[in-house]
Order: sequence, then structure tokens, then C-alpha cells
Amino acid sequence: MSSRMNLPLLATSAVGSYPKPAYLLEARRKALRQQISKQELTALEQRATREWIQIQEDIGLDLLVDGEQYRGDMVAYFADEMEGFAIAGLVRSYGNRYYPKPVVVGPVGRRHPVTVEWFKFAQSLTKRPVKGMLTGPYTIAEWSFNEHYPTRRELVLELARAVGEEARDLEKAGARYIQIDEPAIHTRPDEDFELALEAMEIVTDGLSAYTVSHICYGDVPRIYPRVLKLAVDQLDLALKNEHFALLETFKQARFTKDIGVGVVDAHSHRVESVEEVAEGIRKTLQVIPAEQIMVSPDCGLKTRAIDETVGKLRAMVDGAKVVRNELTGTREPTRA
Amino acid sequence: MITTVIGNYPKIPDLPAPGKWRSTVERFQKGQIDETQLQHVEDEVTAEVINEQVQMGIDVITDGQIRWEDAQTHFARRLSGFSINGLQRYFDTNIYFREPVAEHAVAWTGPITVSEFTFAREHSSKPVKPVVTGPFTLAALSRNVHYPTLKEFAIALGRALNRELKALEAAGAEVIQIDEPAICQRKQDFDIFAEASRVLTDGVKAKKILCTYFGDIGGLYPQILDLPFDVIGLDFVAGYRNWDVVAAAPFTRELQAGVLDARNTRVESVDELVRAVRRLTAFVSPGRLMISPSAGLEFLPRSVARRKLAALVEGTKVANQDLKGART
Repeated sequence: MSSRMNLPLLATSAVGSYPKPAYLLEARRKALRQQISKQELTALEQRATREWIQIQEDIGLDLLVDGEQYRGDMVAYFADEMEGFAIAGLVRSYGNRYYPKPVVVGPVGRRHPVTVEWFKFAQSLTKRPVKGMLTGPYTIAEWSFNEHYPTRRELVLELARAVGEEARDLEKAGARYIQIDEPAIHTRPDEDFELALEAMEIVTDGLSAYTVSHICYGDVPRIYPRVLKLAVDQLDLALKNEHFALLETFKQARFTKDIGVGVVDAHSHRVESVEEVAEGIRKTLQVIPAEQIMVSPDCGLKTRAIDETVGKLRAMVDGAKVVRNELTGTREPTRA
Repeated sequence: MITTVIGNYPKIPDLPAPGKWRSTVERFQKGQIDETQLQHVEDEVTAEVINEQVQMGIDVITDGQIRWEDAQTHFARRLSGFSINGLQRYFDTNIYFREPVAEHAVAWTGPITVSEFTFAREHSSKPVKPVVTGPFTLAALSRNVHYPTLKEFAIALGRALNRELKALEAAGAEVIQIDEPAICQRKQDFDIFAEASRVLTDGVKAKKILCTYFGDIGGLYPQILDLPFDVIGLDFVAGYRNWDVVAAAPFTRELQAGVLDARNTRVESVDELVRAVRRLTAFVSPGRLMISPSAGLEFLPRSVARRKLAALVEGTKVANQDLKGART
């Protein structure tokens, strides 16, 4: 277990993705049709990353993300960069949102570090800490078709070894905070939960970085309190979109990890008010001590418009500040 | 022994072809086109997927549910009493739907799927099977803030959807499929399910298919055979335990057997299909058997869905020959 280092009380962070600016969307479309080079696309991805780092600094987030401007989808991105995968085609997620669903067609593994260069780039742009961002083995397996491995177990554990190598490479590159997202962890809460726990043990084994896992959209009460056994320091969860109903669940057994409390809805256009965010944090404080709480959006914000994203992040940071001041009785933004 | 599908079908073609439906919805959401123009494209795509099923040789088709955003809100938005909430995960899939909220008494105010059915029938040379999400599943996947109990909610939905079944029947539907995947997950509520099913089917003379998927009916068999349905649809992939479940008592209804995996891209071989059919015909005669994928094919990219249909038709054809051979 790692400490949160020198982050302030009720430190703010984000789940991972931010929307891509129009020039980048256009460039990605052109790159798909091979109308611009890989280098030209990368330059624009770097520009967008620089802009998001700047926006987060200006708003005042404590723990930054790189915004995943170079990723299409959280699973396909890793599948594209690893051995053993092909892309089957587009599959509908909801409404008219589609994602490229990978297929496991052979033994999976890493060819080379996947996220390290982007982490180093983002961290070079700011003095604030940037999180290393990985997708967890259970979620990669669950959100891919499998034509190769006879059992899900074999696939998940093989992926865990690969994601673990990536986590250790991130740490070597200087990441002090590493997030391993497992939004699919509660897909088969009876059949597979132990497997998902076992896989995360493999991923975070030997890390000294502070580790986070983001879990969303599913039956969290069904896996609580078992999920407290997940081998990470913090669970980052969507509270806002269920109007903080999860707090009732957390009253049933003490929340023994740190929590990243989702205080703004990632899938609504409405920008929450500062007071609304503050109220959400206050509710959480009735169940979980402030020392265990970090503040975050419900989920990645990539489906929101840029102004909605900025509005939500600003409300989040300002709302956290209001409650922090109430707790410390000062105007000082950090703990002594 | 004939072939059929469960319901939905991929709305867009594979990359790099642009999805006509997808770009049209985007333009509609931006206010660049009106609803009539959207409906026109939905009609075109529906005709396209009907044609695809007919050409592949499927015996009983659906309209592919191109116009459905999801199986819940398609009905909830068109019944009275519901509002629509945020995204929820659809069972153990990576598909999301907007959660219906029953805020008031729910009621049927007019036909929901009838024009979809008549459109499909006009565009198909094969029989068309309309699909209605069952009252139990609709209740289970909605938030209920109006009714005191799930039972009252499900029965009210049964009553509302009974009128939909009658409207479909009046429009000429001879076979109607009722989808109830939720019963595989909530077996403890079987009594509520049974009661809602009776209310739903009251006075409906069309041939009724109860379609289950994403799990097995262990614990509900054989009592599920007593419900007022002519055909029971079972998932033998996610619900592989069904193989053992149905061995426990004579199968007295017709069977719609979901034996091709609708949720994985690996395409089954003819041999696998023939072996599955041999196991099925050990307890149901071929004349009372329909072979299908395990669920709707929208979990797959279009090209793979088409290959699944081809495998379904070819495998069933060879299995039919295999059975004839065995009898002579």
C-alpha cells in the first residue's frame, strides 16, 4: 500500500479521457483514410495533450491525466499495440455510439511498452503529478471476442502478466500514481470475481506507486464489500449518476480503501453547480473519512463537449475547495 | 427443422464503409434533418437487413430492430407512465440502455411495433416474426417509483403489452415472440413472471414464442412449460446448463434452440451444428424445432453476423439431411 504522497485533502483528479478537439477529430478521420501521415497525427495529439494539461493546471486539478487524446477506445488501444489481437469491426455500445471490438486470435502479450512514451510526454509538460493509465486484464478480456483461448481464465491471467509489465515500466519511467481501470469487473459477479481479483494481484505485484482502479456502470452493491480486496490503494467509483445511492452500500461494511468519489455525471450535458458538488462531497464525508477521499468525475469525459468538460472540472475543483475550507477552517488549499 | 433469428441485427456495415444509419442519426441529433428523413433511412436500412436475411436463407426473419435504440426504451417511450433516465449496463454485456422509470400508472396508448411489422412483411418473401419485450423483463430493467411491488408493476405492463400483442394479431401476425431474458437472472420471481405472462397472453390466439437468453432456465423447468406459450426459446451457449435442464422432463412445447454463439466472432462449423441438432432431436422431434443464434446478432460486426447466418443455414441443411439419413 502506498501513501497519497503530498496531495491535499480532498485532492481532485479525473478518470482518464477528455474530448478531442475538432482539429484532432478531423485529423483522425484523415489518418484513417491515409490522407495525413502518422507524424502529422502525432503532432496534433501532442498539441491536444498540451492543451488539456494546461486546462487542468488552470482549473487547479491536483493529480492530472493526459486526456487520452491518442486513444480511440480504452480496450482497442491496448489491443492494437499488443500481440494476439485483431479488430473485428464496429459494435454498438448505446445510441449511435460504436466501438471497435478486438478479437483475440492468438497468444496475447506485449511487443513493447504501450503507454510509457505518452506518460513521459505528459509528465514533461507539468510539475503536478500525472497518472499512468492502464486498462485492466479482466476488462480487456471481457470486452474482446475470444477465438483463441479455451477458457476466459487463461486469457485473463495472460493479459494480467502483460498489463503488470506495463505498470512496472510506467513506474520505472517515473509514474507515482498508476490507474488500472476495471469497468467490467462486475460482469459476472459470482462466476468470475475471484479471477478478477487474482488478475489484479498479478498486475500490481511489487509496485510502490499509489494505485487506483476505476469501476463503473454495473452492480457495485453486488460486489461490495468483496471489491475491497482488489489489490489497489483506491477505488474510483461513479456516485453522482446514481445520486450517491452507493453510500448506503458503503454503510454496510467500512470502506477500508481510499475512494475516488465521482461527483459530476460524465454522461449528462448539464454542468453541475459548485454547491451541488460540495453537497455530494459532504454526503460522502458522513460515511467515509476525508483522509480517504479523492474527488473525481463519474467516468471518462470523452463523450462530453469541451465546454461541458471544462465546466464540470471547474465545478468539481471549486466544490472540493469549498468543502476543504469547511474542514480545515482556513483558506489554505493544502494540508500543512 | 427450420431456421430463425432472435431479433436485432447490426445497423451499420463494416469499416471503411460509412454507416448510413449512424451518420443519419448524427445529423438528426444536430437538427440538420427532420424525423421523416431519419425514418426514411431507417426504412432503407431495415429493407437492407431483411433482404440480407432472406437471401441467406433464414426461414423466419425479424426486421432487425433497426429502429430500436434498445429493447426497453423502444416500448417505455411509447407507453404512458414512463420517463427515461441515465445509462445502465444491459445484463452482462458491454451494451448500455437508458433506464425507463415508471413514474405513473403505465398504459398502452397506441400500437408500438405494428407499422414495423407491416413494413417488414411488405419487404420480405419469408414469414416475419414481430418481437415484443416481455412485461417481466421490462419491469426488471426499469426503475419503479409508482407501483408498491414488482408484481403489480409487471402485471400492469402485462396488461399494457397485451394490447400490443392484440394489435399485432389484428395486423396479421401469426407468430409473435416475447423476449424475457430477465427471467434467467431472477428465477426467484418466477411466480410474478408467470402471472405477468398470463395477463400478457390473455385472449391472444397467435402462436407465441417465449424467448429467453443470456442464461439457463434451471430451476424453472418443467413448470415453464405450463405457461401459455407455444414455443420456448432457450440459449444453449450462455445457458449451456440448459442441455442438462431439459433432460429432466419431457419437452412438451416446440423449441427455438439458440445454438450458435451470438456474442463471439468465432463461427461454428457445420459439424458442430450437426452435433448440436443430434442432441436436440434426442428430446424434440425435428418438426417441433427451430434453430437460431443464442441471442440477437447486434453484438457482432455486420460481416460476422452474416457469416453466422450462413453457418446457421448450412449447418441446419446438413443436419436435416443427416436426420433423413438416420431414418432410412
